[in-house]
Amino acid sequence: MTTSWAAILLGALALSVWGLGGHLRKTLARPWRPEQARQAGSPGRGVVYAFTWGMAPWAKESTRVHLLAYLRGIVFHVGIAAGFIGLALTLWSPSIPSAVRWIIACGAFVGALAGWGGLIARLMEHNLRAVSTPDDLLSVALVSAFLSAAAAAWWQPHWNAVHLALGAATLVAIPLTKIRHCFYFFFSRYFFGLFYGRRGVIGGVQHE
Amino acid sequence: MSEAVNTETINTALGALERALDRRLIAALEVCARCGICADSCHVYASDPKPAHVPAARAEQVRAVYRRHHDPLGRLFPWLVGAKDLTEVDLDALTETAFASCTLCRRCTINCPFGVDTALIMRAARSMLTAAGKAPEMLVMLADAAIARGENADEFREIYREIVAGLERDAQERLGDPTLRIPLDQEGADILYVGLSGAHTILPAAIIFHEAKASWTLSMFEASNYGLFLGDPTKAKAIARRIVDEALRLGVKEVVLTECGHAYTALRWEAPNWFGGEFPFKIRSIVEVLADYVREGRLDLDPSANTEPVTYHDSCNLARNGGLVDAPRIVLRAAVQNFVEMNPHGKENFCCGGGGGLVAVPEWFETRMRAGRRKAEQIRAAAAPVVATSCENCNLQLTDLNGYYDLGVKVMGLMELVVNALLAAKQRQALPLEEAA
Repeated sequence: MTTSWAAILLGALALSVWGLGGHLRKTLARPWRPEQARQAGSPGRGVVYAFTWGMAPWAKESTRVHLLAYLRGIVFHVGIAAGFIGLALTLWSPSIPSAVRWIIACGAFVGALAGWGGLIARLMEHNLRAVSTPDDLLSVALVSAFLSAAAAAWWQPHWNAVHLALGAATLVAIPLTKIRHCFYFFFSRYFFGLFYGRRGVIGGVQHE
Repeated sequence: MSEAVNTETINTALGALERALDRRLIAALEVCARCGICADSCHVYASDPKPAHVPAARAEQVRAVYRRHHDPLGRLFPWLVGAKDLTEVDLDALTETAFASCTLCRRCTINCPFGVDTALIMRAARSMLTAAGKAPEMLVMLADAAIARGENADEFREIYREIVAGLERDAQERLGDPTLRIPLDQEGADILYVGLSGAHTILPAAIIFHEAKASWTLSMFEASNYGLFLGDPTKAKAIARRIVDEALRLGVKEVVLTECGHAYTALRWEAPNWFGGEFPFKIRSIVEVLADYVREGRLDLDPSANTEPVTYHDSCNLARNGGLVDAPRIVLRAAVQNFVEMNPHGKENFCCGGGGGLVAVPEWFETRMRAGRRKAEQIRAAAAPVVATSCENCNLQLTDLNGYYDLGVKVMGLMELVVNALLAAKQRQALPLEEAA
């Protein structure tokens, strides 16, 4: 990778971190209103549950019923992880073993397929079409394009410029677009676990 | 002039949204990826599957306004992120969505991969609408009436005392025990029991407390809290204050709420937030107390009084949002001969469609009957002639659904079933030994 690409990527990363920092500041500037009622269960166990078993496909009726959509989402996000790991490793690409290259390429490839599949579903399915904003479509398209380029670049290095450009664009888009749900996910699941754990609904704690 | 009024209304609504925006609400507004997986989890969507009934679509009405003011792209390119300026037409549409189409049951929340709290968003919407004068008049009127009753409690006290004396005679007659008392204003009692308007929440409780030899006193006030439905913490607090002050004045150890889902949410979970901390007394539902009495053997129950199969409808406020899943089942297994579960049940149970204040607004009868179709299907599938529930609003809604969908069931409260079993046990005791056997 050339120095200029490295600078572009690091600049994009800095913008992304700065933007997410803005979201963090915005969120923390708002009041925190914890529940004051006597707890019936364990908020801590609720939070642990929310991030572990509570994410399992069998934990929710919605994911049991829509297992394919759930798996598509999981594959897409695993692909995104592979894509970003790949982007970071690009800085050292000459020394990466071929097995790792293939794992990243395959991960990004199936992630891209899941992403494009999700986009088609969003366009075809009437409920999804109705609730989608242009941002939803463009964000999924951007990330799917990045994963496609990542898969191609890890297979055929001449795709690298496209891969890096889309990687930088995705990084910049994270705090600006709906992609930032990856950041708010942690807040939302934490509050979910706290709320239902405290009330003795989740976390395997008997109600008082 | 009209434009100025509109601007003021909109600014008032926006101001209410700003006040509601805390960290939890920000997370709920920001995190939704609009994957649509919440759709089937909503009883309104399950009964009438159209895009507007997808929980994510409901919340988008608030998100669009939020993005216009709090999202950089929403300010610059609103069309790109689905942001929009709030108009009075939007407020009218939001009234229908937040008050009539969402019962705040949180079934979508537990089914969302992110745990998006759509009920929290809808409550913020209700706050906006109440502040802007767009809330249903009936709910506002009921909340104001409850506050007025609290402010003029002394005027009602003697009349109420007479009513309670009449109820006491009825309860004595039903139990066949002239020593039964319905204490009012009893200082130092262990329990302050809070019923609802109507004898049906007081009579069975009086019989149960008498049989369990509990130290109790009846509240002057009713448990329901319409301020909660309005998303108006000031009114909700004023309504709750009546009971809190009464409990403090009488020095009770705990407040026990009748079979009422939203009253439980209001006083057990929300009121400490309004008052800024825990109370020096416990707050429990009568369902929890009944389960304790059964576990401790304080009630002699004869389940042969309730021979027909009984299924149980979990109130969203008690089960999904209050964790009371086991307690009613402990009671039912002791009080009825044949208990059958509805599918799904417990925290996954479908809302009956009457929650969130819908039952109180007559013009929404058709809306809530349509929304209850999924519940009617569940009841039919359970094939039990008796449907028990521990929530007054659910009881009213299920009774209406029974007629609307011709279900041919009997809807009963948990306390009613327990009293049947209690009376049967007493009759059995009164019989000669060989006949009782």
